[in-house]
Amino acid sequence: TAGMKKDIERLYEAVPQLVNVFKIKEKIGEGTFSSVYLATAQLQTGHEEKMALKHLIPTSHPLRIAAELQCLTVAGGQDNVMGVKYCFRKNDHVVIVMPYLEHESFLDILNSLSFEEVREYMFNLFKALRRIHHFGIVHRDVKPSNFLYNRQLKEYALVDFGLAQGTHDTKIELLKTAYSEDQQGSCLQNNPTIPLGNGVSVNVTVPKQIAQQSASKPSDKKFISHSKIQIKEGREGKEGSVHHSVQRSVFGERNFNVYSSTYQQSSSTKVIKHSKMIDVSSRKLVTKKKIISTKALNNGTARKAASGCSLNLICDCYATDKVCSVCLSRCQQVAPRAGTPGFRAPEVLTKCPTQTTAIDMWSAGIIFLSLLSGRYPFYKASDDLTALAQIMTVRGSRETIQAAKTFGKSVLCTQVVAAQNLRTLCEKLRGTNSSSKRSQGEVPSKSVSDSTLPAAGDKLSAPETLGKQIQHLKSIQEGDGALEMKAADMKGWDQVPDEAYDLLDKLLDLNPATRITAKEAMQHPFFKDMRP
Amino acid sequence: FLRRPGSASKDVVTGRLKNPFVKVEDRSRRYRPFYLQFHIFPALNYCVPKPCSPFEVEKKLPSAPKQTQPKQRNKPNSDKDCGTPLHLPQKDKKKRGYCECCGKKYEDLYTHLESEQHQTFAQSTEYRIVDEIISKFVYQFVEYKDDAKKLKRTKCST
Repeated sequence: TAGMKKDIERLYEAVPQLVNVFKIKEKIGEGTFSSVYLATAQLQTGHEEKMALKHLIPTSHPLRIAAELQCLTVAGGQDNVMGVKYCFRKNDHVVIVMPYLEHESFLDILNSLSFEEVREYMFNLFKALRRIHHFGIVHRDVKPSNFLYNRQLKEYALVDFGLAQGTHDTKIELLKTAYSEDQQGSCLQNNPTIPLGNGVSVNVTVPKQIAQQSASKPSDKKFISHSKIQIKEGREGKEGSVHHSVQRSVFGERNFNVYSSTYQQSSSTKVIKHSKMIDVSSRKLVTKKKIISTKALNNGTARKAASGCSLNLICDCYATDKVCSVCLSRCQQVAPRAGTPGFRAPEVLTKCPTQTTAIDMWSAGIIFLSLLSGRYPFYKASDDLTALAQIMTVRGSRETIQAAKTFGKSVLCTQVVAAQNLRTLCEKLRGTNSSSKRSQGEVPSKSVSDSTLPAAGDKLSAPETLGKQIQHLKSIQEGDGALEMKAADMKGWDQVPDEAYDLLDKLLDLNPATRITAKEAMQHPFFKDMRP
Repeated sequence: FLRRPGSASKDVVTGRLKNPFVKVEDRSRRYRPFYLQFHIFPALNYCVPKPCSPFEVEKKLPSAPKQTQPKQRNKPNSDKDCGTPLHLPQKDKKKRGYCECCGKKYEDLYTHLESEQHQTFAQSTEYRIVDEIISKFVYQFVEYKDDAKKLKRTKCST
């Protein structure tokens, strides 16, 4: 398209070094913080190769750019972690050159993968995560579009360290600098309005607090919070028609066809909101913010706010269904939450300030959940608490509340929802397996009439067990879904081992402290015959 | 909403959340609680066709689930929340955002990039840290000869 041509021209203009080296073919991805292009380059080895050129948004701080490069150079290039070939810069324009891996669209192949392919996919994802976690990198945005998969070549690549953070003991020097341990709350700039359902809002008088950045920072450690949002608008089809819009994988970038959900908000106003796939908030480099509070006097009722979060007013709303002007006047807790809504771990959703590599393992669990259930995206929420509620409906509200306590959060939920049996859940959602009947207590019928045998006979090879044949036949009798399965020849989906759901359970452990690590996951019996 | 004359301090305004809701608060009680009141609490829906989310909401129904949410600014981190109300997609979507280099918000990306402040930063030595990493890469490309383009390739960076 003309727009794309123009983008390519602009890129050549911004970084003239690219001109004679790359033939830029097309833009293959565009996100909030970068655009990715497919190009070819002539190598000194004599080959022409496809490359991915990632053009970072010129507003990126050099420190952030350097940190991303360092992740790629130190951790990348092996164990399914994307590496880097070169990097070009002119002024504020930086282009990272990476090998191009042709890859599948997750959504397109989701329901055609064999069970064995799923096993391999997960194993290779853990290999990548083990690698980056070893270096103390928390990726923060693990999801299918950031894990490139070439089905034919069985190649995989974890991409995009644009949101990465370091663990406390990270081996990536620049992530140390960029590691924000900002645990102070930021305060609100306005008198809050408390909406209480039914469109009723009440203004309350509270101290007006103004967050300010401390100006006394060395320049290279400056600030950077409150990134404003730019969005790739992907307005969900009119009236919320289901977004099947192809989710094109785009080399580590948020997709063009990013799907976003439209929610109706406050009943009176019906504000339409758009969720964004990526949350800029934690695109925060360094910095401790100093919070200065001022008071907004209103009839002298305003309480004096000492300073930011040292404001420690007591009320009795804690763990109740109440909120008041006292508790609502406190600062909000600041915690990293960059990433993609449906992939955020409970500790991210509840703003736990200390987050570890375990958040990536949760995200891997969500991918696994998609693979096992045939649903993508699995969770669909436009805000953190809806996402949390959806998690509760799968993992149980009691369990979620319990786990949240361990990381310092009180969660109150009026709905009591039971934890789902993961096998039952996935099989019901996949909608094809006879074993789901089994798990519901039904005994598979043994009285398969002979007349149905020939129909399936050609599909079944001799060594298959009778039990499997019966299941197969039974599913054939079940209609559409069964036909689909017949076509797919089950692909192992009729015999998903318990180990799969056991591993899923350990990935979706609500408690980040006990959640399985990448290294442990690779040792899990689910992968018993695979070599690390 | 009721005023409670007998409460610890005068003029404390208290409200009750409407069921169903989820409320989260740090156990230190030092931070603002955040909550969400649902019109309908999320539920697994097995009838949604594959590969859609079992939480897919059927919005066609007039009685579609509504979400009564606290106003954005009542939500922690709301200024950066994923649900921050956004202006509807403009034709030429204004590229609004935040410049990490200049430490300020901008309304239009391209205008900002050309601003004096940003240009000064862009040409500054702040990027040494990036160049240092670049200097360690091995340059392995050969220039395409055929090209009519005459822009000369300057040695990388600055």
